[in-house]
Amino acid sequence: MNSFRQDWLSNIKNDLLAGLVVALALIPEAIAFSIIAGVDPKVGLYAAFCIATVSAFVGGRPGMISAATGAMALLMVTLVKDHGLQYLLATTVLTGVLQIGAGALRLGELMRFVSRSVITGFVNALAILIFLAQLPELTNVSWHVYAMVAAGLGIIYLLPYVTKAVPSPLVTIVVLTGVSMWLGLDIRTVGDMGQLPDSLPFFLWPEVPLTLETLQIIFPVAATLATVGLLESMMTASIVDDLTDSTSNKNRECVGQGIANITSGFLGGMAGCAMIGQSVINIKSGGRGRLSTLSAGVFLLLMVVFIGDWVARIPMAALVAVMIMVSIGTFSWTSLRNLRVHPKSTSLVMIATVVTVVATHDLAKGVLVGVLLSGFFFAHKVGLILYIGSQTEEEGRLRSYRVVGQVFFASAERFINSFDFKEVIEKVRIDVSRAHFWDITAVSALDKVVVKFRREGTEVEVIGLNEASATMVDRFAVHDKPDAIEQLMSH
Amino acid sequence: MIFDNKVLACVDQSHFADHVTDYAAWAALRMDAPLELLHSIERHPELSDGADHSGAIGMNSQEVLLTELVSQDEQRSKAAREQGRLFLLRLRERAAAAGVALIDTRQRHGRLQETLIAQEPSVQLFVLGRRGESAEVTQRDLGRNVEQVVRALHKPILTVTEDFKKPERFMIAFDGGIVTRHGVQMVAGSRLFKGLPVHVLMSGKPSGDAVKQLDWAQGVLAAAGYDVTPHLLPGDTERVIAKTVTAHGIDMLIMGAYAHSSLRGWLFGSKTSELLRSAKLPTLLLR
Repeated sequence: MNSFRQDWLSNIKNDLLAGLVVALALIPEAIAFSIIAGVDPKVGLYAAFCIATVSAFVGGRPGMISAATGAMALLMVTLVKDHGLQYLLATTVLTGVLQIGAGALRLGELMRFVSRSVITGFVNALAILIFLAQLPELTNVSWHVYAMVAAGLGIIYLLPYVTKAVPSPLVTIVVLTGVSMWLGLDIRTVGDMGQLPDSLPFFLWPEVPLTLETLQIIFPVAATLATVGLLESMMTASIVDDLTDSTSNKNRECVGQGIANITSGFLGGMAGCAMIGQSVINIKSGGRGRLSTLSAGVFLLLMVVFIGDWVARIPMAALVAVMIMVSIGTFSWTSLRNLRVHPKSTSLVMIATVVTVVATHDLAKGVLVGVLLSGFFFAHKVGLILYIGSQTEEEGRLRSYRVVGQVFFASAERFINSFDFKEVIEKVRIDVSRAHFWDITAVSALDKVVVKFRREGTEVEVIGLNEASATMVDRFAVHDKPDAIEQLMSH
Repeated sequence: MIFDNKVLACVDQSHFADHVTDYAAWAALRMDAPLELLHSIERHPELSDGADHSGAIGMNSQEVLLTELVSQDEQRSKAAREQGRLFLLRLRERAAAAGVALIDTRQRHGRLQETLIAQEPSVQLFVLGRRGESAEVTQRDLGRNVEQVVRALHKPILTVTEDFKKPERFMIAFDGGIVTRHGVQMVAGSRLFKGLPVHVLMSGKPSGDAVKQLDWAQGVLAAAGYDVTPHLLPGDTERVIAKTVTAHGIDMLIMGAYAHSSLRGWLFGSKTSELLRSAKLPTLLLR
């Protein structure tokens, strides 16, 4: 009861105003992303409406904006080209089902393996993709278009210095539409790009044959969409968490994204997810509660359905200007400056993520590469924490090795090479009580060392193996017992 | 300073804070207990300023926005802290003027309810305004925190509304139930009401059981040296209490509170809330 009031009713005026601002920025984006995916603008607009309204109720992060997104649109291009809209709708529904499954399995918690550099790479790649998607509108066109885009960007960025009471993207669209109609310019408009919504969305069952063959076509796309959608949603949720200094329910968000996508698929919309740029706009405009998300969706639909004729006359140049703003606002420019300051491995992870995404147009692949690379670098770094010293004892009859540090797959080789097998000596003692053996590779490396010494006729004694291999158990339940951790790490 | 068995006065920045402080000081003096004045500062991440509707995001929009929001929050927190400190200082002087020797003040972030639960182990009596800050602007006659807070606590809570008037006679609304029986024993053993004449009121028909219960209460209080006047009156509890209070000039009421579940209270209305709304006198709630 209390949280209902807090989520919905505590910030009514600002939520509604922010919702309006967001809706005005969502329209050009939804249209632009439909064009990327190769479907009519109405598909993206219905999706934006459905996903925004549904996630307002079932999402786990109040104040976060979800709708049709570029990251998702880019993954649909081939499917739409080869199989058509109906398969896209079926894929959208399946994406939602998979996301609900992911929420039920609590896969949201896997986000902790996605490092800061990967997230920065993801965000930058997203910004680049959004920008690249505008290029078709900027090639082989008359100078009017360039002038319009430049004027649009000018209005967007300069108007806030004059007044912050009206959304500058809206002013841009109105002014540019007015100018192009007044001058009668022959440039492309939204109406040229396909059908706009002329009614409220209604329920339709995707017209695809329910066969295994269909599943083979749509499953791989749906799986990628589900992954990318959840990745961007989780990242956006934590950005909103930081901005508003509050917490969100990540698993509820997974399920919420799923329900929103299923609804969207059945109402003739494409798959979508949370939007970083729009969510930042929402928070900046004062949106905090669920009402902001809901009103964004509702305002969007009302405007599109009832002033659809006017929307059709918006020149594409105006949308391009808005999208360039979103791209600039999404890109993390500080990350460029940080390239010089941050460790090379960190920067490499970020760049590898960006490059993979831009090359494949698939954010999931980029994140996979980023996560793998950061895993490698981490293993390498921790593998360096290994010291092996030795000295002779018992008047030269015995050499005592002392192993301190982490022994696992990445450091096993170095571990073996630190022993002097050619030394002619009676007995060797290996004290591993201050080392940690993390995996089977470490244990077999020790076995190898023992065997090698025995071949030379050297007697081997290993001490402290029990302490060293205590870390090998898959679940050592020490996380809540500081004493236990102390004991484990200090022996 | 860590006080045990303290009287905890929960104040917010409304004129009711003065009454709360006065009653808390009175209780602390009577029980010879330390007094702590608590002001809890709630943060509201669900609220926003929302002055910027430009909808434009420039370079590093996220970082810029984060920095801006953080510095806003920082300023707000600092201002609230300083304002709260001065406010508590003034109340502290007020309590000291009333003669309380051991006074401490404390400000905490977080919701009042959580703060009070955290403090409960070292408290023997809570003092709470039945209305608070929001009553300055709205017509609410029972602060929205009160029921929640009372339900969450297990120590006695003195709830006050009007100007401070030194209690001269008090009344126990007795129903023979476990909570009020416990309350009678607590009053008998406590120094808070020592020497004040007490009325014990039971509403209902003079059946054998009720008379026996009332006799028991009278016996316990009389044994502790109280001057007891028992009443056994038929009729609606709320009206009987109101009538007796005016007839005998009662200054303070003691009763059990919120014995039923909050669901039942939500469906049928809560007797405690009704009483707290209609009765204007300070009321000690027993849990």
